[in-house]
Amino acid sequence: MSRSHPLAILFAAALLVAAACSAPTAPGTSGSAAPSATGGQAGTLVYYADVSDLISLDPAVAYEFSGVLLVHNAYETLVQFQGSDLSNLKPALATKWDIKDAGSNWQISFDLRSGAKFASGNPITADDVVYSLQRVIKLNKSPAFLFTDIAQLKADSVTASGANTVVITMPKTASPQGLLSILTFTVGSVVDSKEVKSHETGGDSGSAWLLDRSAGSGPYNIDHWTKNAEVLLKANASYGGTKPNLSQILIKHVPESTNQQFALERGDADVARNLSPQQIAAEQGKQGVTTTKGDSLQLVYVGMNVMMKPLDNVKVREALRSAIDYNGIVNDLLKGNAKKVQGIVPAGLAGHNPDAPFQQDVSKAKSLLAEGGQPNGFSTELLVPTGPAPGGAQWSDIAAKLQDDWKKIGVNVQIKQTTQAELLTTYRAQKGQLVLILWGPDFPDPDANAGPFTDYAAKSIAWRNGWNDTTIADKAKKAALITDASARNTAYKEITDYVLHNGPYAVLYQPTENFGLRSNVKGFAWNPMGYLDFAAITK
Amino acid sequence: MRFLAYLARRVVGIAAVMVGVSIITFAISHVVPADPAVAALGDHATGEQIAAFRHEYGLDRSLVDQYLIYVGGLARGDLGTSIRTRRPVASDLADFFPATIELALAALLVALVLGLPAGVWSAVRRGGAPDHAVRVLVLAGGSLPIFWLGLMVIGVGYFQLGWFPGGGRIDAFVAPPPPRTGLYVVDSILAGDVDALGSSLRHLILPALTLGYFSTALVARMTRASMLESLGQDYIRTARMKGLRERVVVWRHALRNALIPTVTILGLTFASLLSGAVLTETIFSWPGLGRYATASAVSLDFPAVMGVTLLAAVAYPLANLVVDVVYYWLDPRIQRGG
Repeated sequence: MSRSHPLAILFAAALLVAAACSAPTAPGTSGSAAPSATGGQAGTLVYYADVSDLISLDPAVAYEFSGVLLVHNAYETLVQFQGSDLSNLKPALATKWDIKDAGSNWQISFDLRSGAKFASGNPITADDVVYSLQRVIKLNKSPAFLFTDIAQLKADSVTASGANTVVITMPKTASPQGLLSILTFTVGSVVDSKEVKSHETGGDSGSAWLLDRSAGSGPYNIDHWTKNAEVLLKANASYGGTKPNLSQILIKHVPESTNQQFALERGDADVARNLSPQQIAAEQGKQGVTTTKGDSLQLVYVGMNVMMKPLDNVKVREALRSAIDYNGIVNDLLKGNAKKVQGIVPAGLAGHNPDAPFQQDVSKAKSLLAEGGQPNGFSTELLVPTGPAPGGAQWSDIAAKLQDDWKKIGVNVQIKQTTQAELLTTYRAQKGQLVLILWGPDFPDPDANAGPFTDYAAKSIAWRNGWNDTTIADKAKKAALITDASARNTAYKEITDYVLHNGPYAVLYQPTENFGLRSNVKGFAWNPMGYLDFAAITK
Repeated sequence: MRFLAYLARRVVGIAAVMVGVSIITFAISHVVPADPAVAALGDHATGEQIAAFRHEYGLDRSLVDQYLIYVGGLARGDLGTSIRTRRPVASDLADFFPATIELALAALLVALVLGLPAGVWSAVRRGGAPDHAVRVLVLAGGSLPIFWLGLMVIGVGYFQLGWFPGGGRIDAFVAPPPPRTGLYVVDSILAGDVDALGSSLRHLILPALTLGYFSTALVARMTRASMLESLGQDYIRTARMKGLRERVVVWRHALRNALIPTVTILGLTFASLLSGAVLTETIFSWPGLGRYATASAVSLDFPAVMGVTLLAAVAYPLANLVVDVVYYWLDPRIQRGG
């Protein structure tokens, strides 16, 4: 070993540090040789988010929030909802559509926009639509049930009638309005069948190829996805709609929210997706930064398993609902990042019932408990997921609040916190007692909630809580098929009122989403289904 | 030859460890009372979807069958398919492991460059101001939560001063160098790509300092202790009596002997850096194996968890092996078989 060895190492290290520090791409500085990933860059929106849920960018596979957000911006669907409006269906690839009662089934026909092209330059034809929708059914991945179970479609239900017309045939037991809502979602994306077919390997319908790229006609193309690092979208020059304002959207995977906050304040991030309520509060009044809210259709609720005594007693369940301090949860724990919603259909969907009759009333709850045969209270277990709940508070904090509230009426709850996967395994096996969890509708229609919350036979939420009430389940099924909007709303009012007092649920709140934005970012409109149109954003 | 025979024994040992580790990991990961199919498909999946998924991933077979299928694949170099990412585990590991190696190597370099001189200095000036300063740093390094430290480092290095980027491996608009080793710094030097080198170095410094701080403290403490012991030995007195300059006595005579325990620490530290960089990777958005491992564990992704565990199981004995080779070089008594 030479005498100068340690010094040589130090020297080498100093050189490396000097090289790094003098590199011209320091964030926030200008005049760099290579463009840096700064929010200051014109034409690029830098969107910081935790996108660890990203699995695939294939529209037939993606069913996670991050995947849906990206796919939504890279593909077009037949029909769409614009901005945050979920009630007025707008044309997209289909200029008009028609629902026909064909006696034994429904026939819905779509006329395609003429001259529409994919990013590849290939024309969009009825064959592409048929291929795309059949592909979802054939691949049978996470979102496929929307077609096969909810809309009850089979591969041959989708046919082309000429080059520019698509006809979907569905049984009378399924809801055409429901299908139209589903078709606005990413599962209804139309892929470039020529491109995708040429990349099929081993009967995978091109799924491996579409994993990290796009073959659509949306306002943006997926340029690249570096796993656990970033996704870059570039504007699609042949997009048929209003041209996107920004040429690039950079989604940076940044799991730590403090890091997102730093980048937002420094101007390196234009959007910070995962700021906590405390961080949002801290951003108020900061130079160059603003915050905005978005609606969510999720509901955070407690499921009460009626197979576990004394939860089988409707008075006991009403007592538990009456003992909860909902205002405290919404205002203190969640700092107002939630709506006080107590019905099973969230605000923003047709059929939402704004009645929220419950607020902590200890003496009423105690007398309900006595009427239910439990004058001295009882002990039970509350299953709770780990991590943060929608709205920003920790699941464990909400559970502790519930435990505290219920203790006041003599109900002792033991909190059992597990990973969501473990909790769901127990819950899905009907083995929970009280379960604190969330639900978000699969498509923007009240049936997406009323079905699972009422229909025991569907083996979803009602089943998990052992609640078998065929009368209300039938009413919910009939309501889904009503085509007259006001008659449908009336039907849902009756259903939600009934479930509110008889069902095995205590709906706690509907969370709102918070975003940190640079002040110059405009046109940011969050769709409650969990995505946004990047094309409408300017900066 | 003795050394080669020894090496061969160690390699066989590693293989045995892997078999043991694979059985234990497999058994433990199946004790969790949760269904990986539910974890993968979520709350809304139907019973049929869950059943189809369980069948596709062989989760509907007996545990022994699952293990045998897994080991059979392993023998063919197939680590299985990740339940969470739906990609081959081998490609996931190939994507994420180099990032972690790069970070761990950089952290090790930090520990070596800062910890070694600090330990020597503090031993030479025992009881003096430098000694106290190093001891405070060592104490802090051993007790500061890395999460807090990381946030502070970002808060100052990125947020306040703006000298370094706030996370990631390379600037999004700088193309990564063509992969040869998977280490961006090395690959960009090989490719002669100055932009990529500058960007990847700047991204590396803060996480390497954060991750390396704990190891720096460890190395400094160990070096200090063994230097103090060396400096009290007879041969040092002899060297000084011979009139050798103090610098030669300290760096050449005392340090060489004091290095042996430090090398041990470095070897073990490197292995633990490989498997323990989770928090650093999260804070610095570093696309490495630590975060992959955590996400896999939370979503009960058995094939991925197995892959990561096996990799770690190889990393520890390999690091030990390297340590042994370095011993062999440092200590003539081992070479003589003494």
